Amino acid sequence: MSDGAAESRHLHPATLVVRLLKIVPQMLAAFIGLSVAVVKEGFGGALLVAASLLLAGGAFVILAWWRFTYRVEANEIVIEKGVLQRQRRVIPFDRVQDIAIEQPLLARIFGTARVTVETGGSDKEEGRLDMIGLGDARALRDRVRRGKAGAPAVADEAVAPVPAEEPLLFAMDVPRLLLAGLFNFSLVFLAVIGAVLQYLDQLGLVEWNQWFNSERADQALHMATMGTLLMLAVILILAGMVAGIVRMVSTNFGFRLSRTAAGFRRKRGLTTLTDVVIPLRRTQVALIESGPLQRLFGWHSLSFQTLGADRKEGGVQVAAPFARLEELLPILAEAGFPAPPPRAEFRGVPRRALLRRAGPWLALAAIVTGAAFAVEPVAGFGGAALLVLTVTAALRWRKHGHALDDCALFVRHGFFTRRLWIIPFEKAQTISVSRGPLQRPLALASLLVDTAGGSGLYNQAIVDLDARDAERLADRLLALFYPARARARLQPQ
Amino acid sequence: MQAEETSGEAGGFREETKLTPLHSDQLKVLRIRFALTALAVLAPIALLDLAPLRETALPFGLVPGIVASLALVAVAILPGRRYRAWGYREGPDEILIRSGLLKRVKTVVPFGRVQHIDIAQGPIQRRYGLATLILHTAGTRGAAVPLPGLAQAEAERMRDAIRAQIRQDLL
Repeated sequence: MSDGAAESRHLHPATLVVRLLKIVPQMLAAFIGLSVAVVKEGFGGALLVAASLLLAGGAFVILAWWRFTYRVEANEIVIEKGVLQRQRRVIPFDRVQDIAIEQPLLARIFGTARVTVETGGSDKEEGRLDMIGLGDARALRDRVRRGKAGAPAVADEAVAPVPAEEPLLFAMDVPRLLLAGLFNFSLVFLAVIGAVLQYLDQLGLVEWNQWFNSERADQALHMATMGTLLMLAVILILAGMVAGIVRMVSTNFGFRLSRTAAGFRRKRGLTTLTDVVIPLRRTQVALIESGPLQRLFGWHSLSFQTLGADRKEGGVQVAAPFARLEELLPILAEAGFPAPPPRAEFRGVPRRALLRRAGPWLALAAIVTGAAFAVEPVAGFGGAALLVLTVTAALRWRKHGHALDDCALFVRHGFFTRRLWIIPFEKAQTISVSRGPLQRPLALASLLVDTAGGSGLYNQAIVDLDARDAERLADRLLALFYPARARARLQPQ
Repeated sequence: MQAEETSGEAGGFREETKLTPLHSDQLKVLRIRFALTALAVLAPIALLDLAPLRETALPFGLVPGIVASLALVAVAILPGRRYRAWGYREGPDEILIRSGLLKRVKTVVPFGRVQHIDIAQGPIQRRYGLATLILHTAGTRGAAVPLPGLAQAEAERMRDAIRAQIRQDLL
C-alpha cells in the first residue's frame, strides 16, 4: 500500500464546463415558461430574467463543484459535498464491490471519466465521482483493488498486483459487430416515431386526424398494389436492419472481455466508453440467450446476473453479446460455471401441464370465435390471435425443461427466444414451491430457486412440475445447497 | 460452522411433520380485517343506492342487500381458510413458511441467507399482542418473506434466534 497521504481533491475542472452545458437546456425551458409570463414587460425584461437565471444556475454549479471534494485514504474513500448542508461519506475499500469507469462523449473530449463506486447499497449516487481525470480514475481503481486485496475482510481475493496485459477472453471485431447488428433487427424506432407524433399531436403541432382518417385510408387502399406494399416491406426491413446495426455498434464497439485478478473486465462503446469490472465473487447466475434467427446460424449471447453491479440492467451484465457456443464455454468455465448438459438430459414437464399452459388460451379462443359467429364478425380476428397464443403456449411448454449436474441447476425457457439459466446450488437465496388455482386441480406445482441481483423480468422458475416431483426436487436442491455453500466458502475465488 | 448435514432431516418441503399454526388470535385479526374491508366496499354501494340507483327501476335495498350477503359469506368463510393456509416450521438451519389461499406457496429460507429481520405490527395486531416477522433476503422475486400472527414475544425470540445464525458475509 502506498502512502496514506490524504489530500482533498476537487473534481476535474472540465466538470464545470459539462455541467454548465447541461444546465443550459434546463434553463432554456424555465426561461421559455417565464418569458411567456413576462412578455408584457417587454424584451428587456425577458432578457433580464434569462441572464439572472443563467447567472444563478452558473453560480450554483460553481459553488457545488467547489464544495465537492474527495480524498483517497489508506483504506477508504472520503467524499465531502453539499453547499449549505455538508455531507461526509466514508466508503471503506472492503465494502467496494465494483468500480465502473464510464466515458460519455463530452468526457472523452476532455480526457475525463465518470467513476461509480458500487457498494451494494441502495443509493446509486453514493460513490459517484462525475468527473475526474481518466488517469486519476484508473489509478483510483487500481488503488482500491490493491487496498481490497490487503484488507483482512476479503483476504481470499487474489493478492497479485494487476498485470499490465490482461488475458483476453472475448472480443468483437467490426465484421462481427455488423453481423450481430443484422441479427439485432429492431423496429423499436417505429414505436418511437409513433410516440413522438402522438406527443406533437397533444401539443397541437400535428393534426393526427388529418393524416389518418377513413378518406385517406381509402386512398391508401387504392394505391396499395402488390408493388407498393412490397416496397414498403423492404424499406421497413432495411430500416430495421440499420437500426439494429446502429444500436449494436454504438453500445458494443471495441468490445473486449478480459480476465483480471478479481473477475472479468469489459470495455465497450462508441461514443460512451464504459469500462466495467464484473467481480467473479459477485456473479450469481449465468444466462445463455438466443433469438430465433440467431439460433439458426449458431449465435448466442452470454450474460451474468451479478449482485451489486450496475443496477441499470437489473444487475445483469453482458459478457458476450454475440458469440458461438464454443466461444462462450471457456468464459463460463473461467467464471466457475458448469457447461450446460446436452439437450437429451433435460427433463420436460408432464403432459397435463400443456392443459394449464395452452388450455385457458384455447378456451378463450373458442369463446371469442363463438362471439364472432353470433354477434360481431370482427371478433374473428381476436379468435385467430388467441389461437396463435395457444400454439405459442404449447410450443413454450415443449421447450421448457430442467437438468441437474453435480453443481448447478439448469432451466430452459422460451420458444422464440430461448433462455438457458445456469443456477449454481450455492447461489440460492430462497427455494419455494407454489401451486396456483389452475395448477392445483391438475396436481402441478412450480419451483423457484430465487437468486440475488435478478431483474425480475424473466422467469427462472421451473413451471408446472408434477406437484410431488416439485417438492422432491425442492428438497434435493435444499440438501445440495448447504454443502455447496460450505464448499464455496472454503475455496478462494 | 454451520450444520451442513442436518438439513433436510427435519422435513424439508414435504409435510410429514405438521407445521406450526399461527397464534389463534390471528384468526380474530383476520376476521376484523375482512369485516373492515367488507364495510369499506359496502358503504359507497349503500350511498349509491340512496341516490343514483333511485333513478332506475331497481327496488330499494336490492343491490346493497346482495352485496351485503355476499360479504357476509366471505367474512364467515375466508378468514378461517386463510388462517389455516398459513403455517411454519423452524428447523436448525432454515425456516419453512406456507402461505396463500389462491396460490399456495411454500418457501424455505435458509437462515444464512437472511440479510435483516423486521418485526412489524399493525393496529389490529397490536390489540391482540401479535406481530409479523419479515425475513429479508437478497433474492429477486421473494426478497421479503413475511410470517404474520406470531405472539410478540415469540416473534422476538425467533428474530434473536435467526440473528444468531446470520453470517456477516453476503455470499
